[in-house]
Amino acid sequence: MRARSRLVVELRDGRSVLTELRSAAPWTLLPQRGRVRSVTGTAVVHLVSSATAPLGGDDLGLEVCVGAGARLRLSGIAATLALPGHRGERSRASIRFDIDVNGTVEFLPEPTVVTSRASHSSVFSAQLADTARLRYREVLVLGRVGEPPGSLDSTVEVLRGDVPLLRQRVDIGDPALTASAAYLAGHRVLASELLVWGTDPAAAHSGDWWSLAPLARGGSLATALARDAVAAQRRLAEAIAGHPGFSTVDAASELITVSIPNRSVANSRS
Amino acid sequence: MTSVRLVLADSRFPGGGHAHSGGVEEAAARGLITDETSLKSFLYGRLRTNGLVSAAFAAAAVGGDWFTLDVELDARTPSPAQRAASRAQGRSTLRAGRVAWPSPRLDALSQPHHAIAIGALVDVAGGTPEEAAECAAYLSVSGPASAAVRLLGLDPFRVNAIVAQLDIAAVTEEALSGLPMLGAPALDLFADSHARIHQQEVRLFVS
Repeated sequence: MRARSRLVVELRDGRSVLTELRSAAPWTLLPQRGRVRSVTGTAVVHLVSSATAPLGGDDLGLEVCVGAGARLRLSGIAATLALPGHRGERSRASIRFDIDVNGTVEFLPEPTVVTSRASHSSVFSAQLADTARLRYREVLVLGRVGEPPGSLDSTVEVLRGDVPLLRQRVDIGDPALTASAAYLAGHRVLASELLVWGTDPAAAHSGDWWSLAPLARGGSLATALARDAVAAQRRLAEAIAGHPGFSTVDAASELITVSIPNRSVANSRS
Repeated sequence: MTSVRLVLADSRFPGGGHAHSGGVEEAAARGLITDETSLKSFLYGRLRTNGLVSAAFAAAAVGGDWFTLDVELDARTPSPAQRAASRAQGRSTLRAGRVAWPSPRLDALSQPHHAIAIGALVDVAGGTPEEAAECAAYLSVSGPASAAVRLLGLDPFRVNAIVAQLDIAAVTEEALSGLPMLGAPALDLFADSHARIHQQEVRLFVS
């Protein structure tokens, strides 16, 4: 399945408005309407996988443009299961953000679970204007309980103007590598959160299996390794707590988000 | 063929490599490296990640734009402790290298990443990208292996055999096909922890 989705958010009269929203199955973009209005005028959208995806052979793309001063929070609803296709083809997902001056994006998908025969590549890329802010979380779970993981590679590339802030790839699939104390040290969950969000910490903060590291040219990366997703997210939260520029009130996290299952598309995939 | 890669890879090269354990000291302190078997697994992971990225940047530095490579390697090194360790080794390597292979081109570098210092010296000495990659890949495991012998009292013959059996050639070849981005999450965590603990108690190695 080849699908291209697109979302454009612009600032109109002090509010962030979705001026373009094109969902392509299996990815559905669900704007949160009415009831809870963010004090900061942040647009809140849920990214819902409306069919089983990604399956081997899928080629999914999402492009998001955030205009000057606009704010977007894009959240996942449920964990993504990377599953194999019929003929063992690799599935691909690409998500690209373009954030203009003073634009703000929080992209918080739920964990990705790499099932045993999955073969999946994902790319997250973001192009930031000088004063743009970005928060991006990625949680990778190696297999369901008691299951060895399949193959996955995940690439993150974030640039501010012409300057690369972070280029990082994670490869899952070589058991000798994931077991190595130099790589994942046998942990089942790798969680990371990138914050390009105001003042970075002057030095790294770290605990046993987490750290918050200021990047060389701006932005900070929180990393955590754990046996399960709950512990990983707790360690990540501990890391993020040490970030001086980030505050959750600022980040629209105070919103009570309500998910609305979209039944009309839930079975669109045969 | 020049001798540059032999001189750079020699443990007697006065480039300050002996002060760094490449995460071995922290991993050993956590009980993750205890014997030759766990060291072998650690070195395999180190070579496949940090070794590959170092090798690729060393290769690209031969005839490449050192400033652009510096920015790109920074973007692939999220841990400040890893960046500091890389630049400390790069500075020491360059200091010894300037005397061995004098060249005004080296004046463009002050505190280069280790991989870029290796590539730059191979370049001015007349070596090839492949030689620079091989040298960087080898150094990514040889120093940590020797650190493990000193820290844990492992059998030096068996540790030497582990290094000899690592597939440096495969990593060297892969390093010639572009600039990889593969990270090593545990090495990053160890580096930042090591730097934090180093300030509180005595450690044998700087990193």
